[in-house]
Amino acid sequence: MIVAIVLVLYGLLAALALPKVLKRASWADRAPRLGIAMWQAAGASVVASALLAAFAVAVPASVVGHGLADLFEACAALLGDEAALNSTSTRASLAVAVLIVARVGYMGAAVLLRARRERRRHAEALSLLGRHDGDLDALVVDYDERLVYCLPGRKGHAVITTGALRSLAPEQVAAVLAHEQAHLRGRHHLVLAAAEALARAFPRVPLFEQGRVEVARLVELLADDVAARRHQRIHIATALVGLATGSVPAFALGAGGETALTRVRRMLHPQAPLGRRERITGRLAVTVLLAGPATLAAAPGVAAFLAHHCHSLLSL
Amino acid sequence: MVRGLGELESTIMDHMWAIKRPASVRDVLEHLQQERALAYTTVMTVMDKLHTKGLLKRQPVGRAYIYEAVSSKEAYTADVMRASLAASGNRAATLVHFLERLTPEEASALEAALQVYPPGGRSS
Repeated sequence: MIVAIVLVLYGLLAALALPKVLKRASWADRAPRLGIAMWQAAGASVVASALLAAFAVAVPASVVGHGLADLFEACAALLGDEAALNSTSTRASLAVAVLIVARVGYMGAAVLLRARRERRRHAEALSLLGRHDGDLDALVVDYDERLVYCLPGRKGHAVITTGALRSLAPEQVAAVLAHEQAHLRGRHHLVLAAAEALARAFPRVPLFEQGRVEVARLVELLADDVAARRHQRIHIATALVGLATGSVPAFALGAGGETALTRVRRMLHPQAPLGRRERITGRLAVTVLLAGPATLAAAPGVAAFLAHHCHSLLSL
Repeated sequence: MVRGLGELESTIMDHMWAIKRPASVRDVLEHLQQERALAYTTVMTVMDKLHTKGLLKRQPVGRAYIYEAVSSKEAYTADVMRASLAASGNRAATLVHFLERLTPEEASALEAALQVYPPGGRSS
């Protein structure tokens, strides 16, 4: 029971406090990939702590450390023994666990399926409107607005409008398309879908709400960095400005202003990437976030295991 | 086969957008047959599909239909592109735009950021 309480407290603390800590972290802009991993690990950590808390209530901790056979036996006994299954706390905690898994699974599937359906519809329209340019390796659409985007998926490709092609120099076009290819190759749409699914599954939880926004931002920075490996940063920066200016936004404004400014500044004045020590610290933090809840849940079991076996060693 | 039909869809739509007036399956077939041999039923099937998709509208004339593009190519493109932007606003997993739409103030802030960059470092 104590384990369950500790796990719940940890989960609550992480869900409320971690976004503040992570958002304040200025290093994320210098290492977007690590930043994304940190948000993902934090999300997984909170979900895992909730699940494990529920299991800790349902399964007596003393059997956890005694190997898998004992654990399965305890579970089987739990299922076979109506009295144990009927105890209110066990049933309630199992229901909570099932609910969490179902909610995350349902939202994940819903987000992915809807995105796929809309992408397919869009791809169908593009098959009538766009023509594939082999040199650019992108679909070109006759349209005056300056738009560049990618259509992810198995047959994913970058899309660029003639308006964008006209307003950008060839090397800028190449840099922009490299950015889109980075999205496609990195399967960033799945990263975004995961963040989206968590935010929808548990609305108004600060960690997931801000995680969705931050991951979307960091994914852009990451794609800029990947593009900057082969293209000059100035081309990415000028392309951003070229695409942003000149056209009158006639419809729905995105909330991309601040991110765009960050991106231009990052490309013009690159900061040193994280040092070795900072990277190792970051990876350690990711590991702690991922392994933390399981360690907490297993602690009493391990303690019981040690007590049991040390006892038998002593009595030899 | 499927890819062939998809290509035919786009050829027929391009023709319908280009002529900007109603046409029967026979008219379209005659135009297309200048380039390749096609069966009447094939063209009819594809045009029926385009009607189902909402790209062509039709009116019965005699025993056949007269088809016409619902909107111009430009208007249809604008619709599709607008939808793509709207989708990227809330559902980031669908499409990833290089840049979200900015307000004019945000755009000029970007330009200002580029202005302060030392010209010596500019290579474009």
